[in-house]
Amino acid sequence: MLPDNASIRHAAREAASEVAGQPIRDGQRLVTSALIDSLSVLKLISLLEKKLHVRIPPETLQPEDFDEVDLIVRTIERVAKPAT
Amino acid sequence: MPFNSLPYLAFLAVAVAVYWLLPPRFRRVFVLVASLAFYATWGVVFVCVPLVVAGMVYLIGTRMVADSGKAKSWMWLGITCALALLLYFKYRGFLLTNLNLLATSFGARHLSLATAIAFPMGISFYAFEAIGYLVDVRQGRVSMPKFLDLCLFFLFWPNILSGPIVRARELVPQLNFHKALEPRFFFEGFDRVIWGLVQKNVVANLLGIWVDRGFAPTVAGIPSTIDGWFLAIAFGLQIYFDFAGYTNMAIGAARLLGVTLPENFRQPYHAATPPEFWARWHMTLSRWIRDYLFFPINAKWLGAPLPLYLSLFCVMALVGLWHGAGWNFILWGFLHGAYLVIYRVYESRKAVLPILAESRVLAGIGRVLTLMAIAGAWVVFRASSMTKAGAILSSMFYRFGTGRAYGTGFYAFTLVILLFCAIEPLLLRKLSEIEESAGANGPSLFRIVGRPIAYLCGLLLFLLFDEHNTQFIYSQF
Repeated sequence: MLPDNASIRHAAREAASEVAGQPIRDGQRLVTSALIDSLSVLKLISLLEKKLHVRIPPETLQPEDFDEVDLIVRTIERVAKPAT
Repeated sequence: MPFNSLPYLAFLAVAVAVYWLLPPRFRRVFVLVASLAFYATWGVVFVCVPLVVAGMVYLIGTRMVADSGKAKSWMWLGITCALALLLYFKYRGFLLTNLNLLATSFGARHLSLATAIAFPMGISFYAFEAIGYLVDVRQGRVSMPKFLDLCLFFLFWPNILSGPIVRARELVPQLNFHKALEPRFFFEGFDRVIWGLVQKNVVANLLGIWVDRGFAPTVAGIPSTIDGWFLAIAFGLQIYFDFAGYTNMAIGAARLLGVTLPENFRQPYHAATPPEFWARWHMTLSRWIRDYLFFPINAKWLGAPLPLYLSLFCVMALVGLWHGAGWNFILWGFLHGAYLVIYRVYESRKAVLPILAESRVLAGIGRVLTLMAIAGAWVVFRASSMTKAGAILSSMFYRFGTGRAYGTGFYAFTLVILLFCAIEPLLLRKLSEIEESAGANGPSLFRIVGRPIAYLCGLLLFLLFDEHNTQFIYSQF
């Protein structure tokens, strides 16, 4: 089973701050503001998988799916599967 | 009908006037007819190419939506069709020439197919838009629009020739053309169109005269070091002002219809690192490459170093090939791939050696090296042969020589434009402060007096320099 929305949001905020190297607020743009690049998005995916114990299949994703905390939460809820 | 011509300006004025006079329900058909007429000025027969692309995307997209189990196969069929069109029109000559060279070296017979065929303008741009569209349908990012919407998406005249490369999800929703007229559409549109004309006709075309002379294959020998550097810098400025000028005219024309196109440039020569250059130069191509090529490839390995470095080389070589069917373009792409790999290796060391991340001196050296590397790569991009590129590059980097082959005008003009680029962010900030103080649509002294004077000066400069007029560089890609 996937973690609940609040846990995903908390993990998303933590992981985004870690990758960006600065605290990230809700609504702050990450990719379109060039705060992080596509490689950092891959690091972000990897971090989120570890924190939430999920698997995020990246084939159908684009970097802008991780552009802000809300979008990260929605993306995880849409595509993530529990890690086996 | 190039953007920087009087017939186009007349077409734009009439099209914009008719567009706003028409009831909104007729605007879609009008813009499609105007776009078809505009594209037909480059060759009536070629109008069928973007229409075929729209038809192909519509048919395949509809199948993808109807039969989600086979959506992936349909998507690949669509991508193959788009690439086949591109291959036929753009790379056929290059492929046949190289195949014949290879065949001759093995003693085989020449393939005698015609290598030179006419080229539908903008095919590299709308073929990429088609591929992006199909991937977005497969990923459930866009729903299937009507055929008319797709035709408008691919044929929309402001961006059909040389982009910006637009995503369906950012343009299609705007193509209902139901916006009410706002004065800011005209301010913003004319600002971009007139500034684009000045960038192209005054700056790019003037620099082009000296650059053409310096890069001419008939000019033999190695230039002096100062001339080598000035030629490289002048071409870097020429191509920037040429393409940014075109892009401003495209964004401005769309804005006059109330449509917003994405930006393509953000002062690229202010980049401190190679990745930053690509985040500032031809941003919509970089975004396309990132979303549909680089990210999917690296997502499989989650950014592991070896696949990352290999993919940077290959993807950038493809970016080079996209620019033109020639080995110099591929080499230019490889060079940028090498810059990106070197930067990634350097960046990976930052975590181990904090001094690399903290030192301002190193950051300053990095900025200078980045600009030097970009200038060197432009020589390869522009040179008509490797011998020519080698001669200019050697003068820049190791065969130092003195002397000047040009009049003072060339050096002075290049330096002035370089200075303008340096202060461009400051000027833009000042202009946006003036704009913000007047509100979105409100009157101000700047809008009532300053703008019309600036427009008049821009148009006069455009007319004054029209005799040196040449095609936009990116329209050849």
